[in-house]
Amino acid sequence: MLTGAVRMSDSGHTRRRVLGASGALAGLVTLSGCGLFGDDEEPPKGPDALQPVLDEALALASAYDRVILADQSLSERLTPLSQAHRAHAAELARVIGTTLPSGAASAAAGGADTVAGLRTAELAAQKTAVAACKAAPAGRAALVGSIAAARATHAEALR
Amino acid sequence: MKEELASALAAEDAAIWAYGLIGVHLKEGSEQDQARAAEDLHRVRRDDLVEQLAGLKASTAPTPAGYELPFPVEDRATALKLAVQIEDGVAQAWRVVLPVTESTQRVDALSALTDSAVRATKWRKLAQVTPLTLIFPGRPTA
Repeated sequence: MLTGAVRMSDSGHTRRRVLGASGALAGLVTLSGCGLFGDDEEPPKGPDALQPVLDEALALASAYDRVILADQSLSERLTPLSQAHRAHAAELARVIGTTLPSGAASAAAGGADTVAGLRTAELAAQKTAVAACKAAPAGRAALVGSIAAARATHAEALR
Repeated sequence: MKEELASALAAEDAAIWAYGLIGVHLKEGSEQDQARAAEDLHRVRRDDLVEQLAGLKASTAPTPAGYELPFPVEDRATALKLAVQIEDGVAQAWRVVLPVTESTQRVDALSALTDSAVRATKWRKLAQVTPLTLIFPGRPTA
């Protein structure tokens, strides 16, 4: 009975604590399935469900780079977005258990090489990530969800 | 899942409370309208969460009587800073809901995460904070 009364004081949390409450859980979400069997080649089981999200991240990063190359004045604004896509790609590759292609992966121009085109591409890529998040196992949901949200913020930043 | 939803509820409550302070320091017109719209959306999410938790027969903890501000909010700059911090915090609370939900419920949680992340970007734009975006919205930065 006494413990009940003592526990009550636990509910007096501050907003500061609320804002940080999810911190302890964050480390748990990206348990990847890589490396368990060393370098033995497993029979390919078809592409990973997150491969399209990864491909899109790399394609977007390249598209940003092309736009920046064509107009350096956009560099300050667009470089963080390009870097974000590469960071997404790196995490996705880690979770999938694949390696990123080195060098310029997508030589083909994507046809999105204007700021407006990038914005359209971000919104399309957001949809891909939302669908992937919906279908993902629990251990991948937070990562893919963050990527989906990031793509939406990129579109907002380009407005 | 109850625990994660309860955390999201606490974050939404904190946001509703914070926007009451934020709005008065912003420019009249579009900025205050934006704050009011954000507050309304947080109320909708809050009400949804209360309903969901009731459905799970989880008691919703009463709103804590006093919140602590991370810094004094006394002008437009600090109000915008708080708005960014609040939306980032709400995004974090919703991100934790993703692994414990499925299907449409997860998509709803993702919408909440995304909406907060996009609003944080809008506030950063008004505050002229760069970069305007986080690399992984909702992931705790510390």
